[in-house]
Amino acid sequence: MANDNKQTTGLYRRALLAGLWRENPTFRLLIGMCPPLAVTTAVKPALTMGLSVIFVLVCSNLVTSLMRNLLKPHLRIIMFTLNIATFVTICDLYLRAYLPDMSEILGAYVPLIIVNCIIIFRAEACASKCGPVVSVLDAIGTGSGFTIALCILAGIREILATGCFFGVRVMPGGFVPWLAMQMPVGAFVTLGLILGLISAVTRKKEA
Amino acid sequence: MSKIKYFIEQSWLLVTASFCFGLLIAVTDAALSPRIRENKETKLNRLTADLLPEAKRVVEVEEEIEVKLAGGKKERVKVYKAVSEAGECVGWSFNAGGQGFADKIELVVAVDKNFEKIAGFNVLVSNETPGFGDRIKSSYYRSQFVGAPAEKLQLVKTGDPKKIDSEIVSITGATVSSEAVIGIINTFLIRIKEQMQQKELIGNGK
Repeated sequence: MANDNKQTTGLYRRALLAGLWRENPTFRLLIGMCPPLAVTTAVKPALTMGLSVIFVLVCSNLVTSLMRNLLKPHLRIIMFTLNIATFVTICDLYLRAYLPDMSEILGAYVPLIIVNCIIIFRAEACASKCGPVVSVLDAIGTGSGFTIALCILAGIREILATGCFFGVRVMPGGFVPWLAMQMPVGAFVTLGLILGLISAVTRKKEA
Repeated sequence: MSKIKYFIEQSWLLVTASFCFGLLIAVTDAALSPRIRENKETKLNRLTADLLPEAKRVVEVEEEIEVKLAGGKKERVKVYKAVSEAGECVGWSFNAGGQGFADKIELVVAVDKNFEKIAGFNVLVSNETPGFGDRIKSSYYRSQFVGAPAEKLQLVKTGDPKKIDSEIVSITGATVSSEAVIGIINTFLIRIKEQMQQKELIGNGK
């Protein structure tokens, strides 16, 4: 009995923590790369995008998990898409109603969450095979990993491009902003350097 | 009979889920749409104030102004009169919309008090491709409309964007979106101007 409890706790912990580092969608699996490149000019939109993805992931994983025994194999992708599109639409409406400025900044990237492969990947790999608790923990872990990655990228870009972090000035007065960091090239360079650093650290650990 | 049974067996979950998800979206939309509309109105007032800085407030024109769109469909347009602090008319603004590259584009267009010159336009709603079509919001494109004659505009591929006339230089890589904006402004501006003249809201020193 105690062994069973230990196993379940271990399973929950793995589901929650895997997405944060070992299976981080942006830094380790390199999937869903459109938002990390497109909405990371500042931390506020990146955080909003991350929280939107967490909301959609949690809802989609929960619903997929609850209906997993009823899914027909050849209809599962259309069911996932339908499910994801519903929650993305709800999220988009909420942002337009309560965060109109952020909704305008994120523009088409919120509706584009529908085609973000992280969500369909988790529905296929986890939610369609596991129970609701594991699926929700997996969604929170993966979504948080994605949000943290977005915020790291956005933080670096915002500081170097404007001298501010979350809208608050952090660089000294004489700092000359690197305007290139606000452009797409800034996203590619920052992401490339972070991936290189992560690769170097992991290789060292594995060796 | 067996085919129908097979169809139901295979698709009942999809049909039921579609109905439930549709209902969920409809309920959310009904709950949030008043607030979204309110946000849109606030934005409209702000954008009009940006285009007509002398305006102290905007008043909706009571007369019914309709625009006949392609396909014979008629659309009622909200036209606003911009009034200065002294109570004088300083210009007009109206909402105009049409199909863009990705989705519907909605604009706020402002003109001077005699409907002779365009004061500019602002984008109210657009889901054009980021980095390409969404450059219709850029000052490079928008500034070409400021002071342009309130008549049929033409989109050209090359030219001097600083020259203020009826020729608007297209955005490289976003020709469809540039054309869409010109099309929307041409459709609405000319027809609204005609009706405003017919209803004697403009002209005759008004």
